[in-house]
Amino acid sequence: MSLLEVDSLTVHYLTAKGKVHALEEVSFDLKKGEALGLVGESGCGKTTVAMAIMKLLAPNARVLSGKILLRGEDLLRKGEEEMRKVRWKEVSMVFQSAMNALNPVHRVGDQIVEAILAHDGSFSEEEAQKRVSELFALVGLDPNRMRDYPHQYSGGMRQRAIIAMALACEPSLVIADEPTTALDVVVQDQILGEMKRLQMDLHLSLLYISHDISIIARACDRMGVMYAGQLVELGPTQKVLEAPLHPYTRGLLNSYPSLRGPKKRLRPIPGEPPNLWEPPEGCRFHPRCPRASEICRSSCPPVVSLENGHFARCHRPRS
Amino acid sequence: MSSREGKRTNSSKPRHRAFPRTGIRWLRHLEENWRIYRSNPMGMAGLVLLALFGLMALASFIPPLIDPIYDPMSGVDPIIDTSTGPSWRHWLGTDFMGRDIFSQLLTGARVAFMIGISAAFMAVAIGTLVGMTAGYFGRTVDTLLMRLADIIMVLPGLLVILILSSVVGRLSIWNLVIIIALFKWAGVSRVIRAQTLSLSVRPYIEAARVAGASHARILFRHILPNVLPLSFLYMTFGVTSAILIEAALSFLGFGDPSTVSWGMMLQWVWKTGHMFKAPYWLIPPGVCISLITLSFYLVGRALDEVLNPRLRKEVLEQ
Amino acid sequence: MNLRLFVLVRSVQILITFFIIMTLLFVLFRLAPGDPVAFLTDPQMTEEEVALLSQQFGLDQPLHRQYLLYVWNFIRGEFGISFYYHRPVVEILKDRLPKTALLFTTATILYAFAGITWGKILAWKRGSLLDTSVSLFGLLTHTFFLPWLALILIWIFAYHLGWFPLNAMISPEIWLDPESGWLRKGLDILHHMVLPLAVLFLTHFGGYTLVMRSTMLETLREDYILTARAKGLPEKVIRNRHAAPNAALPVVTSLGLSLAFSINGGAITETIFSWPGLGRELVFSVSNSDYPLAQASFLLIAAFVLVSNLIVDIIYAYLDPRIRY
Repeated sequence: MSLLEVDSLTVHYLTAKGKVHALEEVSFDLKKGEALGLVGESGCGKTTVAMAIMKLLAPNARVLSGKILLRGEDLLRKGEEEMRKVRWKEVSMVFQSAMNALNPVHRVGDQIVEAILAHDGSFSEEEAQKRVSELFALVGLDPNRMRDYPHQYSGGMRQRAIIAMALACEPSLVIADEPTTALDVVVQDQILGEMKRLQMDLHLSLLYISHDISIIARACDRMGVMYAGQLVELGPTQKVLEAPLHPYTRGLLNSYPSLRGPKKRLRPIPGEPPNLWEPPEGCRFHPRCPRASEICRSSCPPVVSLENGHFARCHRPRS
Repeated sequence: MSSREGKRTNSSKPRHRAFPRTGIRWLRHLEENWRIYRSNPMGMAGLVLLALFGLMALASFIPPLIDPIYDPMSGVDPIIDTSTGPSWRHWLGTDFMGRDIFSQLLTGARVAFMIGISAAFMAVAIGTLVGMTAGYFGRTVDTLLMRLADIIMVLPGLLVILILSSVVGRLSIWNLVIIIALFKWAGVSRVIRAQTLSLSVRPYIEAARVAGASHARILFRHILPNVLPLSFLYMTFGVTSAILIEAALSFLGFGDPSTVSWGMMLQWVWKTGHMFKAPYWLIPPGVCISLITLSFYLVGRALDEVLNPRLRKEVLEQ
Repeated sequence: MNLRLFVLVRSVQILITFFIIMTLLFVLFRLAPGDPVAFLTDPQMTEEEVALLSQQFGLDQPLHRQYLLYVWNFIRGEFGISFYYHRPVVEILKDRLPKTALLFTTATILYAFAGITWGKILAWKRGSLLDTSVSLFGLLTHTFFLPWLALILIWIFAYHLGWFPLNAMISPEIWLDPESGWLRKGLDILHHMVLPLAVLFLTHFGGYTLVMRSTMLETLREDYILTARAKGLPEKVIRNRHAAPNAALPVVTSLGLSLAFSINGGAITETIFSWPGLGRELVFSVSNSDYPLAQASFLLIAAFVLVSNLIVDIIYAYLDPRIRY
């Protein structure tokens, strides 16, 4: 059975300008010990997926339909108090490194101790401190710096601390939302390697969220591509990269330089992502799609599977 | 669409609005800004109150024309020689000398506007000039001017004016206005300096400099229009503090004896021992000072929202 | 920068500021029209007294020597003789300072704490009836004209209801009674303090509440608050441990900036309630043309404000590790 199953999740935001169709019928699953990546441009709904799983959506968000099953239990049906126990204990998050995710007025170590004590009553203060120093060692930080404040850390160290914090309660699922975006390339590489190693060692399930296809390609077993609030393609990383089914995925790959492969011409996708107040009729990608036909303009494509475990939401997937 | 962005679009003001807005754009968008302002009920309430006080100030010329006994300072009612309660003849009663309280109250509004607006205008003019100079030239000029501003900001203004008046004697209302302005520019200059600093690294300022524009031209043609909206905002806050300083000074007995102000009226009711027996005299001036403070505060807050939602609030409190 | 260095730097800055204020005061008094001897001597004094004082303050010497003497006299606490009390100024001030400190410090602590606490609660319950009513109340009391509020409170609570004394700091009959213990005396002071405290509290509480409320609302949008929620921390912990300490920082800054402004209100309050503090003494001495006392009480108030500023800075550094380390 899958650890996490997201089933046709639809989320809207109510704003002064109208309804934002942020997520439309998004479905995927994540097995124990697996790393799944979600890639897409900013504003495509990636972070909304993460926040919906944590049940931390903004107050103006409305979940219209769908289920989020964690070990078969629907998180969307849980009350606030039950959900509080799921957070961090079952599902934790590695926040965007660019974010100000650590509280500036508290010691880094204390912020992790706090998470442990909030979820496990059997820990004493000292045991929790000891656990944090183990976690620091695990993510490659000097345990002597537990008593430092966030501003005394470098960007890379802060990101490691956030990873240590995410692992504090031994969660079964870790969601990493742009875990390396604001870091320089060398540090980015170290952090990614670190996360890969931890995933193997601790047998973690990871949900990566990034706009950077190369990170997803390196870190994930399977990947999904999101466009304008829909999951347009999902499959094993290798397959998606080598034989993409959806025209958007192909466009995305063409607009990315490859470090190792042969030199190629970069071709950006023409047009701009649609505004989600009034998403296009039919397939949301059709205004920018080179292969769009009459049916693409009128009806929303179903999810089709061409090969085992490789899906696309397209009327005319490349066969 | 990420959830945080979603939250942002929901709130009426974005977290990071393009800062600063330019003065010219500000004028061009007057109509739109008025629409934003109008949607703020507190701001509108403030504006209505201000209009009422404006009417009072205008009406202050009328009573002495009707009969000289209604002159706020010298108009003693011949048949009354003590404080009396409200009547048809004297709507709010009379003070200890038989002068008309209503007429004094109207004149108080005029004096408050005169002092408040002129002192605030001078303070803001000085503060804007100093702030622009400090921010634009930087280095020693900046350090010196801002240290000066710091010193002025830690001085208790009212008490300094007290000391001053002990040396030079009673201050006339216009001297008082000048002294208040000399104390109130400091806070404004800090804000204008910060704004100028952020402006002077803008490409178009750089371009003007490269094109050979003089310092004066850059300051007055390019920077000034961009800081004026902020200056204007600070003027609304400055008006209140000038009115309050004059009122407090008059209340303590150091006001200009040749005019009547709300603070002076309170001083009279207090010092002549009428505060326990003449509520008709005690209440109106206090209500007026409090309400005019409130209305300028409300207008300032609403303007603040229109011009720049992310202003540092702590400086505004003074 | 570590805390000690920070405090040292701020102390030096404050000393320089004080020195400049002192110099300005000297300039004001010496360059003012009229005979400088008149600012130091009282027409009622005998010729010998006048001569002695003139010599002590070097009025017969050139201006720069006078200035040095002025500084030296200040350092050794020699402020001259009060015209009104016919006693050394320093003795009077020694008696007044603790009384101002008691009233002003108590009031400041009360309204700062109340403002921070209420602002925190209102931001947390934004849009609720509690939020609307307390915000409105705070806004109204914040704009009350302080002397008027004082008169109204005296009128209602002292004159009509008789709950509190009209003015003064102590009841002489209690303090002169040898039977009275310290508790009775303390309660007596407290009883006299209630109204002046209420005036200072009401005129300041609203401003701090509104500032705290708005900084708290901004803080609640910070990323680390999202982290705290994601960590599954209880709501109270998020509010009190994660949001409030960050939101309070700008409020503490604002407290420091407003001290000079608040002491004006303190002086007015003291005057209305005949609270025998520095502010009332300043107002009094200015009305009586008691120049030595006026000058010295002004300097002492300025020093008091500066030291309070330093204390606020230290509190800020204590609350914000980015300054402490």
